[in-house]
Parts: sequence; C-alpha cells; structure tokens
Amino acid sequence: MRELIKRYVFQVQANDFDNAGAASSTIKRNLKTIAINPSIVRKVAVASYEAEINIIIHSNGGEMVLEIYEDMISIKANDKGPGIQDVDLAMSEGFSTASNAARELGFGAGMGLPNIKKYSDNFKITSNEKGTRLTIDIMIE
Amino acid sequence: MQRAFDLDVDNCKGCTNCMRKCPTEAIRVVNNKAIINDDKCIHCGECIRVCPYNAYHAISDKIQKINKEKFSVAIPSIAVYGQFHLGTEVCKIHHALLALGFDYVYDETWGAELAAKALMKKLNESKTPKPAINSNCPAVVRLIKVKYPSLMDHILEIQTPMEISAILARRKIKEIFGLEGNEIEVYYISPCPAKSISVHRPIGTNHSNINKIISLKEIYGDLVREMKIKKELCTSTPSKTGLKWVLSGGQCEAACIENSIAVSGLENVMNILDEIEIGKLDHIDFIELMSCNESCVGGPFNFENPFVAKNNINYIIKNTENSLILNDDLDKFEQLYDEGFFDSDIKLIRDHQSHHTSLKEAIKKLEEVEKVYHSLPKLDCGSCGAPTCRALAEDIIDGLKTIDECVILKVKNNGSKS
Repeated sequence: MRELIKRYVFQVQANDFDNAGAASSTIKRNLKTIAINPSIVRKVAVASYEAEINIIIHSNGGEMVLEIYEDMISIKANDKGPGIQDVDLAMSEGFSTASNAARELGFGAGMGLPNIKKYSDNFKITSNEKGTRLTIDIMIE
Repeated sequence: MQRAFDLDVDNCKGCTNCMRKCPTEAIRVVNNKAIINDDKCIHCGECIRVCPYNAYHAISDKIQKINKEKFSVAIPSIAVYGQFHLGTEVCKIHHALLALGFDYVYDETWGAELAAKALMKKLNESKTPKPAINSNCPAVVRLIKVKYPSLMDHILEIQTPMEISAILARRKIKEIFGLEGNEIEVYYISPCPAKSISVHRPIGTNHSNINKIISLKEIYGDLVREMKIKKELCTSTPSKTGLKWVLSGGQCEAACIENSIAVSGLENVMNILDEIEIGKLDHIDFIELMSCNESCVGGPFNFENPFVAKNNINYIIKNTENSLILNDDLDKFEQLYDEGFFDSDIKLIRDHQSHHTSLKEAIKKLEEVEKVYHSLPKLDCGSCGAPTCRALAEDIIDGLKTIDECVILKVKNNGSKS
C-alpha cells in the first residue's frame, strides 16, 4: 500500500463557467510550490483541467480530489450523474455531447477523455446514472 | 553585472507600486525601501515603468567612453527607429551614430529578416511541441524559466536578431578592415533591461558577441542634437521584413506563419502561458509572446510612447522598397542555416537555480504556509512589504518576516484590546 502524504478536495459546480479551471489551477499551483518535476506538473495540469471542465459541462456537479503520494500524483474526478451512456464511444477522439452554449465558449471539441488518458500513466473510468468516476494516476519518477 | 537597472534609494518612498506589479514577486519593501531579489527578477522592467518617483534607472555604458583604440560598432535596436519624429529616415539615425564616434553601424533589421527566415524553416523542421513559442524576448524566456518551467521545451530555439547582427557585423568588419576579436567592440542600443542583461547573462549561448550596452535614453539627446546639425546623403536601406519584427505580430507576419497568435504586454502573456500549460492551445502552431505592450517599441528604455513609435515604424515600412536585397548576408542564408548559425540552446540560461528538498518536507512547508495564510486578512494590500498575503505567509515560514508586520491584523488586535 502506498502512503498518502496529502489530500485536497475541491467542489465543482455544474455549468459554473465563471470558475472554470479554478480547481485545476490550485492543483497546478500547489504542485509547483512543492517543486514537483515540471513535466509531471504539465501532465497533471492538462488532465485535471479536462476532467474539471467535463464535470462543469456534462454533469450535475461533483468534486475533484488531488492525492499526493511519494511516487505518484492521483487525481480523482467524481460527479453526481447523469453518467456517460456509452463509455467506449466517449473514449474515441472527436466524440462530443457538449451543449451549444458550451461549444460557443470554445469547449466540447471532443478530445477530453482520450486526452486525459494520453497524459496519465494509469487511467480508470466507471460510469452509471448516479455518476462518473475518473481516476488519473501520474507517476512522479 | 547582476542587473541592467538600479534603484535610487533616495528617491524610493517605499510606496509598493513596483512590488505589486512585479510578475515574479521578486520585490519586497523593507524599511520603506524596495529590495529586488536577483534570483527571481526576469528584467521585464515593469517596476521601472510603474514607479511614480522615477526611482529606477537604467545601468548603461556611456557614449563618452567609447574606446578610441578599438573599432567600435553600433547596433541600434530596431525599436530605436521609432523614437524620432514621423518621417525620420533610418540612414539619418545611422549617420548620427557615426557622428557620435562609432566607426560602423550594423542595421538589426537584416538580422531580424534572417531570424524570420530561420523561424519559418525551423518551425517546419523541428520537433518542438505545439504551440511553439518565440525565443527572442529575454524577459519572456526568463518568465517561463521561473514561473512556467514545464513550457521550456515549447520555446523554438533561434538565435536573437541582436546576436545574429553582432556576429554578422564582426564578420563584415573582418572582411572589409581585417580586424577581429578584441580589436572590435560591439555596442547595442537597447530598448529594455531584458536585452541589456542578456549581454552579461546571455540566454541560448555561452557568450554574447556584444560587449557594451547603451540604453536608448542615455544617448537620445545626443542623437537628436546630432540629427539637427547634419544633412547627409542617404546610403543605407533597412529590411522591410525586419522592420515589422519589432511590432506586435511582426514575427508571425515576417515568418509567414498563418496559424499563430501574437500577444504583447506581460499580463496578457501570463494569461496565455496559463492556457498553454493546461493544453488549451495545442492546436496553434506558433505563439509570439512579447513582454512589453506593442512588443519592443514598448520597451521601458525607449523615449517615445509605444503607439507613436509604432506609427513611426509603420511609416518607415511603407516608404521602404520591397524585396530589394541590399545586404549580401541574406544571400548566405541557406549556408548559414546549414552550419547551425541560427541555433541556440535555451538550457544555457544560467540563473535561477532551484534548491532540492524532499517531497515530504516540501508538503510540510506548504501546509505551514497555508496555515499562516488562512490567519491573514487576504486583502493583498501590500502594507507589510510583501506583494500578497500568500507571499507574506511564505516569507514568515522562510523566517524573513513576522506576522506582526501585517498592519491589518495589528489594527484588529489593538481594536479588540481596547
């Protein structure tokens, strides 16, 4: 079992574009402050921003969790539904169910989930109508 | 030289304007005087610009001290061409420099045109991740190094027009006069502290080919007076493409990069860097980031305001013949490119070393900082001499300040006692 050194939880509201990126921005700042290798910070920054935007656009709200282990950063993005109908389809590049309002803001190009997976060393997704749970692990060394 | 500008302590009132404007939080106010942390300073010059008491001034070599024993070369920054009244021809500025005692003037626009060609070619060939970022604003490169280190590999490493011009000037003088090395002294007329410091602490190269720096304001009066006296025959023409380089968007235009954005002004630059960092701009090929408003015409050592200077430069561009190749260095582009003439190595930036601590220690410190931070009023008023409450919290944990220095807490505590 890995020893958890530090855990942060951030609430993310549905449709809250005013605060879009606030959680991932704090995650990024904290990792920079504790001098995590810049290339690791970059991976976490990209993946956590995508995950946060997904909660804002597609879900009924949820939370982002940052966990710091000695050898790993883990991001958890958990929302309160409505869930992804076809996870395999959502994982294919270019697929998007974003609303027109979100698209007008420049979101919803359909690269979110595949991009998150690309930047993580270990990626897990489970989804049902009660919510979608992402686990994004990025190794430090 | 540690710094390209200095603070006149007698003029500093400790007003905290510079401290709050500093993008890397490099300034603290202690005993009513600003103190600059050289490890964090990126030489953007925001402090010089914002100071209401003009307490900051450029450190510059003096024109009176040109070494007559040596062959002296002046390379005026392209921005210099925008500092005189509308319609002033480039050759007139060159003549004034010669009259002031320089033996030779090299026109940086030619260095910029070569840099633009190299940029175009390298953008297509290199494996720099997208979006590629320009490497010729030393303040932006240092900002990335200090605040956005994960984006260092996005910088497209090309030698700056300033260095390109210095090497080509040296080669030309060897060719014409048979002089080289120490026999030549190259002066750069600089629009900003970032370029000035790059001569002493170069980026992308081990050793700068420029020997001396004169800030534009230092010789502005001499140039204006000289231009009033003499009328000479015009003999030199600048590069039209190179002239554009000095205006915001000019690099994208000079290198004909379609899918690109140009951003100038430090605040805008930082917003864009934040977006690049989270992967929002991966679809863009090239981003031109310049620390000063409107690019180098906005440099703090310039005399004219950026918008007027921009108009002056545009006037010169309009009145410059197109596609006239008047500098044979341009014919050598392919050969120079193949010999690696334009290559630079950004990793050679030699300042800002970080200290290593273990992850657990670092997190413990972060927790301590957060604890102190939450006890502070979070007004970021700056009265304690730190730019934000968070910065004060960090300084307290680093043992540099005490919580008693928070003026707001002090007032509150006194209120509750009485």
